[in-house]
Formats: sequence, structure tokens, C-alpha cells
Amino acid sequence: MFKVNLNKLDRSVRGFIGIGVTAFALFNGDIINDVFIEVLLGIFGGLNLISLVFGWCPVYQLAGISTKDS
Amino acid sequence: MFTKPKLTRQASIRPRLILACLAVSLLVSGIYVTVSYRLAADVNIESERRAMGQIISFIANIPLSDKQRSPLPDREVLSQIVNTDVASFIHVKSTRNSISSAFRIDSSVSKQLLDITASRNDDDDAIIMLNDRCFIWLRMSFGEDTITYLKETTLLDVTLRLVAKRLLITSVIVFWIAVWLALTLSSIIAKRAEEVNDKLEELATHDSLTGLPNRLYLTEILRSIVEKKEDNTHQGCLFGVDLDKFKEVNDSFGHSTGDKLLMALSQRILTVVQPPNELMRLGGDEFIIWAPDFTIAQGKVLAQELKNICDTTIPINGLEINTGASVGFAHYPTHTTSPETLLSCADSAMYKAKKQRSGWEVYDEHIVLSNERDVMLKAGLNEALANNELVLHFQPKVDMRTGEIVSVEGLCRWEHPSLGLLMPYAFIDLIEHSGKVQDFGRYIVKQAICCAASWQKEGIRVPIAINLSPYNLLDPGLIAFIEQTLTQAQLSAHFIHIELTENETSLNINYIQEALEKIRRLGIKIAIDDFGTGMSSLAYLDTLKADTIKIDRTFISDLESNKGHRAIVSAAVDLAKSFECNVVAEGVETKQHADLLLSMGCHIAQGYYYAKPMPEKEMKQLIETGILPDALAL
Repeated sequence: MFKVNLNKLDRSVRGFIGIGVTAFALFNGDIINDVFIEVLLGIFGGLNLISLVFGWCPVYQLAGISTKDS
Repeated sequence: MFTKPKLTRQASIRPRLILACLAVSLLVSGIYVTVSYRLAADVNIESERRAMGQIISFIANIPLSDKQRSPLPDREVLSQIVNTDVASFIHVKSTRNSISSAFRIDSSVSKQLLDITASRNDDDDAIIMLNDRCFIWLRMSFGEDTITYLKETTLLDVTLRLVAKRLLITSVIVFWIAVWLALTLSSIIAKRAEEVNDKLEELATHDSLTGLPNRLYLTEILRSIVEKKEDNTHQGCLFGVDLDKFKEVNDSFGHSTGDKLLMALSQRILTVVQPPNELMRLGGDEFIIWAPDFTIAQGKVLAQELKNICDTTIPINGLEINTGASVGFAHYPTHTTSPETLLSCADSAMYKAKKQRSGWEVYDEHIVLSNERDVMLKAGLNEALANNELVLHFQPKVDMRTGEIVSVEGLCRWEHPSLGLLMPYAFIDLIEHSGKVQDFGRYIVKQAICCAASWQKEGIRVPIAINLSPYNLLDPGLIAFIEQTLTQAQLSAHFIHIELTENETSLNINYIQEALEKIRRLGIKIAIDDFGTGMSSLAYLDTLKADTIKIDRTFISDLESNKGHRAIVSAAVDLAKSFECNVVAEGVETKQHADLLLSMGCHIAQGYYYAKPMPEKEMKQLIETGILPDALAL
């Protein structure tokens, strides 16, 4: 189902962003003070983490593009 | 390596789409941030003013002692009511006096602030900016008193601080969504556009009937050759293939059959034209093949293969059709270094092959020379007609028994000022393709009539025969012209004969028959020329009601050795007897020919054995002296 469509660079950049954003959403302390935004950040980070784990981007899939080296 | 040419396309729309989406997302984020910030600020100011309103009401309602004539409470009381940590200023104006109380604010500043508030209406902006300090103000009236309350506020800064953090994060997320949206949208649109472009390119560069690439594709190939011009090792052969009898197939069996034939044939040709060689159809029955990296020797092999593959029968609608094809090719860069002329070189070679019925030809410069000469002759044609450069030479038809010259055939020659005497084969084709056939026909008729008239005056009473093509008979004014010219020359129509080439009489036979009938009524005799070689049926002999048939030279030339030809000649003589017309043998070259013909019952002959075609002066001399006795078959 998760057909890899990201290349290494794309995948690692997303992983980096995903970890950073998710960590920030979880452990930001009093910086944000807004659950809604924390949830949004969580989703954003989560999607990037999925990309990191599976090397797959749902948006790329929808758009039918791929950065994977053919 | 040869790469397939592509149509040049405009830059992809994708980058533009992404840019547009990003711009829209930035704009949306900007609007969103501004509106959110203003909304939050407005809400805060509103609640702040409400609180201030309560304070003013409170102050206004403090019961005042009689001693205190002032409507404003003491500073002590006030300091408990208002927040004295921030700069604030209260001013009460009544009909009797006005009084104010300020905390942490200079009197000059408070004066300025008061002036500003005085110039404002109650509904105006609740914020006053003064010397980088921000004040919020409220004015209320109670009976005669008007209380104005001003205080410095950090509200906007707090709002900004609170809102900015969230807005920043949400903006990032909005921006992120917008980027993805842009990517997705642009990909989908770009993909669709690409599909449409591919389809259009396919349509533009390919022939819809056979699916083969078309002329545009060829142009691209030729252009790619130009681009590789620096690369000296690049070479290739361009082939032109033209079906020989495609027009006939179309005319006889209809266009749908023609189309099927083209499709079937293109499939067959594809079996010998393997990639990287490319087969293209330029339209009609003309195919082009580009064989990159082919040498001339390889080209010759392929040309032969192409010729063979086109020379096979193709079953269509239960018919076995074989059109045959002529192939010509030119080699790049040996024959031409200009890709633009490569196609015309291949075409020249192909036309040469067609003309000579040789199947295939490789380009050589002589073709061009002959083409150039043709162009020159074509240009000189008008002048030739005007200057009487076209003259008649004569060849006698001889009664083999007596040596008497019974008539002469007028043969056209072009006395070209620079090229000398030209035979008809060098220019008749040109005339027929120049639209001057009818002018030429009349010209010949006039020449013959004038000549016959002058001979008659000199006492030479030998008829002159002229060759007319069926195209001439399509000239509606020809008969009237003949009649008029005869009258002008005061010549009897018996002295003019017309010879018609049989293989073309099939052209609009009814009309020709009518025209011939009219000519015959003038008194002119009709002969069928080259009898036996044409495509028309024997029935024409009956319909055309010829007075003479002339047996074609091909049957005479090997009369001694070819039994079949003897049989044909003998049959033709019998046929002529039955139709009560005269028979003339063409191309009689030896005494044996003459003897055989006489024994078969053919008495009149024309050929080198008796006389070659000669100018008028010599002809007249020959008629006067007669044919030498040793040339007679007797």
C-alpha cells in the first residue's frame, strides 16, 4: 500500500521536521498554551513521521509525483 | 545516437502553477493574520473600555458632600478606584468648572491628551498614540458633567504577543497546506496538460490514416540533422517511395479501397523499415523513409527491398491489388550537405525511377541537370510557339509494291536556338503538363495545313498526317479552327490526316468519338496510331471508326523471329480488312520486314528502311525523285 515515493534527502528532511515538530507539540510547556494548535502541530509532525518511516508521502501519491530515483 | 525529434513546447506550466499557489497562500496567510490580529485587538479594547465605563459610572455616582463642590473625588479615593500602576488621567468638566486628576503622567502630556480627546467624537478611535505611548480613552456624560478617562495601555502589545505565537504557528501550517495543495494541483493539471499535449503532438506529427509520422515529423528530423551538422560522422539516407498506380486504384475501386491499400502497404513497408529507420507518409501515396547512419551501399539494398515489398499483391475486398512503387534515395552528406534539399534530391531520384520504370534509383546530379533543362524548356515554350521554333519533319508512308509515297507523317521537332534540334520525347511531356496542349495542337494543325497548301501550289499532292493527342480533341474550338484554317489556306480536307494514339483514347471516349465524327465530316481521315500497344479494347476500333490503323513498331521489329508478333500483325491486317480500313506498318527497318509484311497483305509501310524523318525541303525532293528502286520490296 505504501509505495515508496520519496528519495533519501526528501525522506530525511521530512524526518527531521517531523521529529522536531512533534517534539515541540508535545513538550513545548507554556509556549503555545493552545490545545488546538498543539493538535495541528501534532498532525503535521505525525504526517512527516509517517513519511520518515515508510518513505511515502500521501500528497505525492495523490498528485502522482515521486522524488524517488528511478 | 539519433534521438527522436520532438515538437518544441512551451515551458511547463508547473512552475508557474506552484508559484501562483504559493503567492495565493502567502496572501491568504497575510489576510488571515491581519484580520485575526485586528479582531483580537478590537475585542480587548472593547472589554477594556467597558471596564473603564464602569469606573467612570462609579466615579459619577459617588455621593458628594456639600463642602466638596468639586464633582471629582479625592485623589485618595480615586487611587483606590483606578489602577495607579499605569499612567491614568481623569477629567471632569461641568458647567461650573472643570477639574482633573492625573497619576504618573506629566501635566503637559495630559494637556495634550485632553486636547486630542476634545477634538474627537465619542465613536472615534479608542486608541491615542502619543510619543510612542499608547493611551485608551473614554468619555461619558452625566447630566451636566462630562467625565473623560484616559489611561496608558499595553493591551495591544499583550494582544500581539498572545496572538502572534499562535498565528505564527498556524500560518506555517496554512502555508504548508498551501504548498501541498499547489503541488497536488499543479501536478494534476500539468499531467492533464501533458496528456493533451502528447495527444496533440501525436495528431500534429502523425498521419491519421496510417498512424505513420507525417511531414511535420520529417521537418523535425531534417532540423535535427542541421543541429548535428558539426558532427562530421553523421550520415543517412532519405528515401522517397511513390506508388505507381495508386491513382488508378483510387479511380477504379474508390477511395476507401485506396485507403485500405495504403494501410496494408504501410504495414508491409514497416517490416523492412526497422527502427531507428523511420517511415513517414507525406500524404497521398508518397512515403518517406529516413535511415540514419546508412551508407549508399546500404541504401541500395534497402531500396531494392522496398521496391520488392511494394511489388507484391495485396488482397483487398477479394481483389489482388499490386500497384508497384518507384523508390529514389539521396545520401546525406554525399549528395547534398543541406538537409533542406535532401528531400528534393530523393524526390528527383524517385521521379527518375518512375520515368524509367526502373524500380529504384539513387540520386545523381544528372537528374538535376535534366530537371534544370526541363525548366528551361518549359520557360521557352511560349517563345517557341511564337517564333515558329517548332517545325514539322516528315517521314513518308510508302506503298511497298510500287514505291509510291502515299502520304507523309508530320513529326514535330523543336529547333531550339541553344540546344539544337530536339526530339518530341524531350518536350512533349512538358507541353502536356504546361497547360498548352491545346495551343500546341492548333499550332501543329496550322503548320500542317500551311505546308500542305504550299505543296499543293507546287503540285505535290501528298496528304500530311499529324499526331494529335486525345487531350487536343477535348479542345472545343479545335474543329472550328481546323475548318477555318482549311478555308483560309484553300486546301481540301483530304490532304490532312489525323493520327490518334490508341492508348489514350480511353479518355472520355464519348466526347472524343463525337469530336472525331465532326472531324471526319470535314473530310479528314482518322488513323489509330501505335495500334496494339494501348490499353483500350478492340471495341474502340469500331466506335472510333478509324480509316487507317498503324501497327506499332514493337510488333514489326522482331517480325522474323517472333511468331506471336507475326500472328498479331496478321490478325491486325485481317481486322483492318473486315473494318474496311487501311493498314500501315510502322518501324519497317529491313527488307525482310517489308517482304513478310507484303506476304501478310500489308502494303503500306513507314520506317527507316524507306526513309528517316526529314525536313520539309528534303521531303519535297524525295517526293519528286521517288523512293529508290533498290529499296523496294519488289
